[in-house]
Amino acid sequence: MSSLVSALAYVHTTGQFGDYEGKNENDLLKISENKNLLIVQVVQYKNSTLPFQSIDIDGLKLKNEPLSVVSNNDTRFLWNGPKNWLLVSNKKDLIKSILDKFKDTDFAVTDLSHSRAIIEIEGQDVKEVLKKGCPFNFDSLEKNKSINSTYNGIALTIDMLDDNPNKVRLFALRSFGESLYHSITDASLEYGFNSV
Amino acid sequence: MLYIKCPHCGMRPQTEFSYGGDASVKRPELNKDISDQEWDDFVYNRKSLRGKHLELWQHISGCRQWIKVERDTSTHEIFRTFRADEEVA
Repeated sequence: MSSLVSALAYVHTTGQFGDYEGKNENDLLKISENKNLLIVQVVQYKNSTLPFQSIDIDGLKLKNEPLSVVSNNDTRFLWNGPKNWLLVSNKKDLIKSILDKFKDTDFAVTDLSHSRAIIEIEGQDVKEVLKKGCPFNFDSLEKNKSINSTYNGIALTIDMLDDNPNKVRLFALRSFGESLYHSITDASLEYGFNSV
Repeated sequence: MLYIKCPHCGMRPQTEFSYGGDASVKRPELNKDISDQEWDDFVYNRKSLRGKHLELWQHISGCRQWIKVERDTSTHEIFRTFRADEEVA
């Protein structure tokens, strides 16, 4: 039996790093790797006229609204582009209902679960860390919004999970995961971070 | 930094985009007899204007959509952006 190796298994170590001394542990940034999420890309074909709004996955309905995220406690639908979504969920078995409800005559469904590295950052300085490598105006990024952009040249998806305190989930191609992790942790040293 | 307003995502840095050439070039109609010169003009010959220019860009690190951008090639000022399927008056 083979065991799964996470995207950041060789670089992510726990502990406190950077300028953490003399600071309250709760004020430090928290950086973690998120594993075992179901990540599915759903794209509706251009010639399809099927009303996607009626499709229900885990109690959620797709919304073709720029930067929007539709979510519940387990599942999030991230808008990736016109009629293009990224479905992210803790429920791995959701793939069955996704494949069942998004028929291949109208949708291209691709399971990307094993092709992404996922980093979560939490803390009041999250946006400052992101600003160091990404020229997007993060003051306009609110809770439950997501963007695709680049961080030090690495393409990534940023999902704003919460704003009190700020919490983001970063998705990058698995092969760029270690580079992104180094970029993010380098940028976080100034604030001090707790790697969990 | 140069910013381009993507008609789908909003204002984004130019580094997220990839230049795709002149947007005013139209492909010759299908099944129409055309001369070698017309093919040559469609495939290779460009005007390289100084001034207002309609260009194709792809939001490669964003929504991955092709868009049209009206830009001044001498000042880099961007006047308007459109979806790729939008007709520009």
